[in-house]
Amino acid sequence: MKAIELVDEWRLLPLRVDDAFTSMAIDEALLRLNAEGKSPNTIRFWRWLPSTVSIGCFQSLEREVDLEVAKRCGFDVVRRITGGGAVFHDHKGELTYGFVCRQDDVPDDIIESYRLICGGLVRGFERLGLRAEFKPVNDVQVNGKKISGSAQTRRWGSVLQHGTILIDPDVRRMFELLKVSPEKISDKFIASVYERVTAIARELGRKPSFEEVRTAMSEGFANALDAELIEGELTRRELELANEFRPKFESGEWLRKR
Amino acid sequence: MIGGLLGYGEYKAPKGVIKAEVELSGDRISRVLISGDFFMYPEEAIEQLERVLVGVEADREKLLAVVRNFYDWSGVRTPAVRPEHWAEAILRAARSKSRGGQLL
Repeated sequence: MKAIELVDEWRLLPLRVDDAFTSMAIDEALLRLNAEGKSPNTIRFWRWLPSTVSIGCFQSLEREVDLEVAKRCGFDVVRRITGGGAVFHDHKGELTYGFVCRQDDVPDDIIESYRLICGGLVRGFERLGLRAEFKPVNDVQVNGKKISGSAQTRRWGSVLQHGTILIDPDVRRMFELLKVSPEKISDKFIASVYERVTAIARELGRKPSFEEVRTAMSEGFANALDAELIEGELTRRELELANEFRPKFESGEWLRKR
Repeated sequence: MIGGLLGYGEYKAPKGVIKAEVELSGDRISRVLISGDFFMYPEEAIEQLERVLVGVEADREKLLAVVRNFYDWSGVRTPAVRPEHWAEAILRAARSKSRGGQLL
């Protein structure tokens, strides 16, 4: 593997609370503008309002999500531009990160690039007092249980990786919303979801604030990247492009693509 | 989902469950839709994969040859998912169809 030269200055955006379509549109706008050289490498964190089920770009909506439950709960459902599985983004118990950079700033090897970026999360969990490890392809575990899952896409010469940081999610609600493949569960010989998924509150014995988690993770990213994170804001151009992309994510055509 | 009476099969690869729906015309694939929680770079390649499978006989070796060829010319990357995993999912879907097209 060739030596990786990391740019040493990254932008850190403030914590946002948005609906699913806006969040996904901001991610795509950052990816596009970063590829065009018009946006810096960026790390951001956000919460979902209302709570949302996001599905991977290759997933079948009807096979993965119980739309009746989502509707009854008033939750949004959105298709991501990244692969991977369905995720329940609980407004009160989950923080999502987004990471956008030039492809040259991470390893070309896909798993190695996950290792680098998830390394920021690992160090962030350590700052919260938890011993975490990267679990290829795209997970971070604490005590052998998944606490974070990520998904990545590469387009136009840049990389977008976003993922979930479980703080205190409503696990019962999660499994009402997601149609889990019985094969997937039985394959791991696991009787209970609590044996394979955990969350920060459960591991720490207290529920940290969203800002505390964001701060820990930001420092973790800075440490893993050996870079300085400079606090910044979304630019007018980024917001305008996000507004252009938003209707796609809200459309039935995109949602029901597969 | 395609809808209608189609074969359905899935295969759990080391990373991701591949879910395949196929429509057969005789012993050949006339339509295929692949879904699941895998990763594929670039993402658009999934549609190319679905296209190159049309017209292929529902036979393990023939499916595998087409998928391997697809990997070669497209340069597609699928972490922890290999050509034989797609072939297996499609074969399972085709076999479910030949047993009367039950939907799982």
